[in-house]
Amino acid sequence: MSKFKKDKKKSAPSVNTSSLPDIVFMLLFFFMVATTSKESDPTVKVVQPEGIRTTDMTPFKQRSEIDFLYLGKPRNAARADQFKLGYALFLDNVAQPDVNELYNTNAIKSWKLDKFESKPETMKKDIVDVITCIKADENAPSVLIFDIRKELQDIDALKVAYAVRDNSNL
Amino acid sequence: MAKREIPEINAGSMADIAFLLLIFFLVTTTMDRDKAWIRNIPKKIEVPIPPEPIEERNIMAIKANDANQLMVRGELMENPDNISEKILEFYRMNEQLSQAETESAAANPSHPGYNYPFYTRIDLNYIKAKKKEAEAAVDEADMNPNVDAEFVRFLQSIVDGWDDKKEALQFYGKPILPEISTQAHVRIEVKQKTNYGLFAKIHSEIEEAIFELRDATAKDLWGVSYKTISARVDTDDREKYATEFNQFDLLELLYPRRIIEVTPK
Repeated sequence: MSKFKKDKKKSAPSVNTSSLPDIVFMLLFFFMVATTSKESDPTVKVVQPEGIRTTDMTPFKQRSEIDFLYLGKPRNAARADQFKLGYALFLDNVAQPDVNELYNTNAIKSWKLDKFESKPETMKKDIVDVITCIKADENAPSVLIFDIRKELQDIDALKVAYAVRDNSNL
Repeated sequence: MAKREIPEINAGSMADIAFLLLIFFLVTTTMDRDKAWIRNIPKKIEVPIPPEPIEERNIMAIKANDANQLMVRGELMENPDNISEKILEFYRMNEQLSQAETESAAANPSHPGYNYPFYTRIDLNYIKAKKKEAEAAVDEADMNPNVDAEFVRFLQSIVDGWDDKKEALQFYGKPILPEISTQAHVRIEVKQKTNYGLFAKIHSEIEEAIFELRDATAKDLWGVSYKTISARVDTDDREKYATEFNQFDLLELLYPRRIIEVTPK
């Protein structure tokens, strides 16, 4: 009756996998280009607040005209009481002896200046133009932000950026 | 010489190597970009510049207390999402008034726009006169040996400001340019324990309002969105995007982003 006879003996044809490396390479190149490596993992807990109409910091990062500092509660809760209001600063680790080192706001000046000095002469821009990006936890008290601003004002680093999670596209 | 056959290289493990690299980059990639608002910290000044008294109507005060409650222009606000509407109102209330209407409104406390910043309608003659005035001030300060160089630079910046306005007016293409009171500003007053979350929300709302104002005008005048203009200005390519730079400067003049962040005591 049926016109289509099933041939039970025939096994499935094997798939040609010779183009697999090409596909994988394509993916590989995409991720290689899209990757920006993180400076370091902060040892303070930071949950960023949300906001809209922000500026993308990536171009500044590529020209290394930006320093990041994190403000949050230390991951190791036992250390919290060493810091003002329980919130510690984590400074990105270029001119810093120990990655686990956490600071109060009074360390900002030397950190900023050290970072500034350690840059090669050809890449150096005026310190006024080096942005300081503050990544603060949403529950951090505002007074600490103003403490940071005051330290920066003293060394004439007059550009700050308040980091948030951008939800414009949601 | 006998022709030798070149042995074929087994490329089967190529995929493995590529996979290995792929997985490494997959794991280390972070797709989220760092997004932030850039703000300027006022320069520390040694030479006090005589402060002008600021009229109440020119202050868009946004206050937040230790319990994260908001007060905007003297009114309690439950929902922080409404701040941007208040800022829009602040900018737009008196924008359409003519010079004569502005003068009568300024003298009449019952006018709805009495407590909002007024606009000055500036034309070319006004700019020229003001520039001359500013130049005279620079010359006078230059002659005076008691005046600090920093202060002369400050006066010179005023002269340059009038030059910028002249250019913006020419680009605007209309004889008269409405300029919001130079004192008008948004003032953020938070307390010591106000959450950074709320502080950031206030900045977000300001940014939303400024975007809205500039976007509406950009679409009105040139039919392009402010997003496009600012993206091109961000490239820093002045030669390629000269028009966009002019548009951007004009929008900045029409709706300046003046923010004062008051240090909590």
